[in-house]
Amino acid sequence: MAAARRLKRVVASQPGFINLKSTSDAADSISSRRKRVNKNKKKNWHKHSDINDVEEFLEDVRLQERTTGGLLSEKPDDNLFFLDLGQPKKAEQKAPEPVEEKKRRKKVSRPLRIDLILQHDSLVPPPKDVLAHQQPNAKKLRRIAQKAEQLAAKGVVPRRQKQLLRRQAVVRTAKKAVTEANNNPDREYYDIWGQETKSPGDPWFLQQTGKKRVKRPEKLNEKPSVLPAVEVIAPGGSYNPDFFSHQALLEKAHEVEVKKQKEEEKIEKQLAVNKEDTATEETTFREQVEGLVEEDEEEEDAETVPNEEEEDVTVGAITQAEKKTEKQRKREKAYKIKEQQRLADRRQTGRQQQLFQLRSIKASIKQDEEKTETKQKLRKAKQEAQKAQPRRLGKLKFQPQDMEVQLSDELAGSLRQLKPEGSVLKDRFKSLQKRNLIEPRERAKFKRRLKVKYVEKRAFREIT
Amino acid sequence: MGGLQKKKFERGSATNYITRNKARKKLQLSLPDFRRLCILKGIYPHEPKHKKKVNKGSTAPRTFYLLKDIRFLLHEPIVGKFRDYKVFVRKLKKAYGKSEYSSVERLRENKPTYKLDHIIKERYPSFIDALRDIDDALCMSFLFSTFARTGKCHVQTIQLCRRLTVEWMNYVIASRSLRKVFLSIKGIYYQAEVMGQLVTWLVPYQFSHDHPTDVDYRVMATFTELYTTLLGFVNFRLYHSLNLLYPPKLDTKSESELKEANEDDYAMNSECYLEKLSALSASLARVVSTAEEEEGEVDQFPVEGEDMEKMEAREKEQKQLEAHKKIFEGLKFFLNREVPRESLAFVIRCFGGEVSWDKSVGIGSTYEVTEETITHQIVDRPNTDKQYINRYYIQPQWVYDCVNAKVLLPVEDYFLGVTLPPHLSPFVEENEGDYVPPEKLKIMALQRGEKTAPEQEDDNEEEDDEEEDDEGDDEDENDDEEEDEEGGAEENNLKKMEEQRSQGKSLQVKVTPGKMKVVDSARLEQEEKAEEKRLAIMMMKKKEKYLYDKIMFGKKRKTREANKLAAKRKAYDDAEKVKKKKAKK
Repeated sequence: MAAARRLKRVVASQPGFINLKSTSDAADSISSRRKRVNKNKKKNWHKHSDINDVEEFLEDVRLQERTTGGLLSEKPDDNLFFLDLGQPKKAEQKAPEPVEEKKRRKKVSRPLRIDLILQHDSLVPPPKDVLAHQQPNAKKLRRIAQKAEQLAAKGVVPRRQKQLLRRQAVVRTAKKAVTEANNNPDREYYDIWGQETKSPGDPWFLQQTGKKRVKRPEKLNEKPSVLPAVEVIAPGGSYNPDFFSHQALLEKAHEVEVKKQKEEEKIEKQLAVNKEDTATEETTFREQVEGLVEEDEEEEDAETVPNEEEEDVTVGAITQAEKKTEKQRKREKAYKIKEQQRLADRRQTGRQQQLFQLRSIKASIKQDEEKTETKQKLRKAKQEAQKAQPRRLGKLKFQPQDMEVQLSDELAGSLRQLKPEGSVLKDRFKSLQKRNLIEPRERAKFKRRLKVKYVEKRAFREIT
Repeated sequence: MGGLQKKKFERGSATNYITRNKARKKLQLSLPDFRRLCILKGIYPHEPKHKKKVNKGSTAPRTFYLLKDIRFLLHEPIVGKFRDYKVFVRKLKKAYGKSEYSSVERLRENKPTYKLDHIIKERYPSFIDALRDIDDALCMSFLFSTFARTGKCHVQTIQLCRRLTVEWMNYVIASRSLRKVFLSIKGIYYQAEVMGQLVTWLVPYQFSHDHPTDVDYRVMATFTELYTTLLGFVNFRLYHSLNLLYPPKLDTKSESELKEANEDDYAMNSECYLEKLSALSASLARVVSTAEEEEGEVDQFPVEGEDMEKMEAREKEQKQLEAHKKIFEGLKFFLNREVPRESLAFVIRCFGGEVSWDKSVGIGSTYEVTEETITHQIVDRPNTDKQYINRYYIQPQWVYDCVNAKVLLPVEDYFLGVTLPPHLSPFVEENEGDYVPPEKLKIMALQRGEKTAPEQEDDNEEEDDEEEDDEGDDEDENDDEEEDEEGGAEENNLKKMEEQRSQGKSLQVKVTPGKMKVVDSARLEQEEKAEEKRLAIMMMKKKEKYLYDKIMFGKKRKTREANKLAAKRKAYDDAEKVKKKKAKK
């Protein structure tokens, strides 16, 4: 509002300014018909008063201010006029400069057209932004800051900060280390059996939240076999063996080999073609004649005859079933009772007789007991022996490894010339199987899913 | 009869077992993963007693597990890791397929891994449990450490195995716990006594690998994974029991000795230290750097119910053991390049010897061939050109035989070019009456401190010696028999006299100068003992007597067999000798 007022004042002081009244007169003179309007209302003032001239004037003033930064009438003469001294000399001096440089400078100095358009071309300075220097709630904030300063001077820590401090006090594990691979050659070890860590917290809570490990059942710590982990080779397996132990080992290996061979032979025998089954001339001839000769049929007829007779007999047997007479029934019943009585008596006497056989009975009982005892022992021994045996754990049976043996002429005279026999890897693997730690398995056979088709390529065909 | 109808296979053993496939499905794992999990957790298949019942009427051979075991597996956190790994592989494949290499890299960085520490703790609740199961771990680690890095298994695994085995060997050296060594055609068997446990392991010869095709490498790798973890923890504990630094460090003194100008010739910088450790020629650094640990005599108190004799025997054994540990002390060995360096260095160092080799053979040699103080040079070739006078040139078997015999054997049998005596297995323990090869008898005699005739003597004499030994042994075994014989001799004398008398001949009466009767106290004692024994036999009950006779008969039969074998051997030896003589002529 203040600015507007100032403007009006300025406008009124202008020499060309005509008062409101005079303008209205002029308007009256123009319009032929005069309109009567109540002027006691502001609305009507706006509506029926002609302010074009004022607007025009103000427009002019604004233009002046925009373009020159103030009213031209107020400017000193120096700003409005200059002395015309003809063509300036400097322009001539500049002319001989090389054209290229000029061009370049022009290029450098001349701003883009778009920038020119966007440039603020009014000379009226923008109004000062008052709000930029004002702070909302400044007074309140200042007071809070003052109070905080006072408290800090006293040494009192605000609650919020206290909470933060307390949070820092909690032990925070440093950034979770990336777990390294299990077979990292530089991995660290520690005393795993040393520290008995008591897990903190309620055991019930830990169990329910799955943080406590389930206890390993005691039974799982039993070994599935009594065999030792490393079975030392027989003394004959020395690189420079004693004669007899070497012979013993050779004999053992020989036995194994013989057993294998026998089995193979057995299978071969079973698979061999029986000579009696092969066709001779006679049998082939018979086969060809089969069904052509009539004699055979007659024979068959002869065979069938007795069968029919037998059938007749069986049919007759079923029909025979007569009713017993009363007398017969009574007799049978009496006989039955008598028989039962006789048996009971016999049993009774037998029992009485046993009293005199006590010694022999005792002996027989003792014998039986001895028998069971020996059987038990045998069974137990068998069970013990079974413990050292590999179990049948899958499709395949355990196949013991081939015995490592060096023949007498293969034996090396010195350690340098020794040729190791067998493979330790295989030995370990078989040992694991033998101790029932893993089931014997065969390597999976490669199965081709799609058939292979052989096609001659054209290039190949052309050559041949 | 009321109640519900009982259905088949819903109670009893059928419900206690589960087939492998069902177990696998229950755990939602693939078969290889399931197998791995079972190995790691120590859960093995079972053979049910009544297969048909368990198999619900079918007789098809199947692998069964106990249902409770599988239920226990369900709680294992590693199962989750296995599933994660499966997902990881799937994602990786996909990323590769789309050739999104940045995401491949990101995935690789976050590869899921797992630790087996908790499983070790669970399976081996105490250290001794772990030590009892260390045999397998050692065998596997030694085996894998000799593998070539050809992609049959991870290179990292091989490196880890090598590191662990080197640590183990260094521990055995530091604690001097090696007891037996046996060179077999398969590999080298070692036995050590660690904290009262006998630990046996098998080490393959170097460079002897063919890769058999019928071995499941995945299974073996899984076992190795478990066992390397176990061995590492055991090593840590063992090192600390000896006050050694755990990732083993060489002694500062010995390290400076080993310092060489051209270390780069042997190994890369990163591997240099391990190589130096694996040379086994230097001692390790201790936590408390005492130069020598005082080994005070342990006072021994007799345990209740144990008499002095037993204690004395124990003491004697202890003494023997101490002597055994130090058999190579003060000896200086030099290894030629053709002998197995690692094995020999390990054995020699285990018994207190010093060892070195040519500089060009490997890192860690401590002295040169030209060193004057070398006592033994180990050579495995027919002859060498340059020989020093003040040292023995012997074949490598001498070292091993000495260790097994627990004494320093005469070196003459092991000189260059000499046919070696057989290398006997130290793992065979002969019972009374078993056949014992003469070579072993000789060693036993040496152990007792008897001096056999020097080797330069004639063969015949040597044989006599052996026979004597044989007899001596027999005496030990059944002294009562021998007593009988002697009694018999006296009787014979008397009988002769009686015969003479009966024939009417006058006895030759002579006065001879009196002799001092020497009272042999030892003999008297023996006699007394024999007498006591005889009396005891007389006092036996019929039943016991029967048993006793049976046992004695068995023993006699055994000795008879052994004698037969010995005679056979003698015949063989004689034949050999004749052949040799003929050949000489």
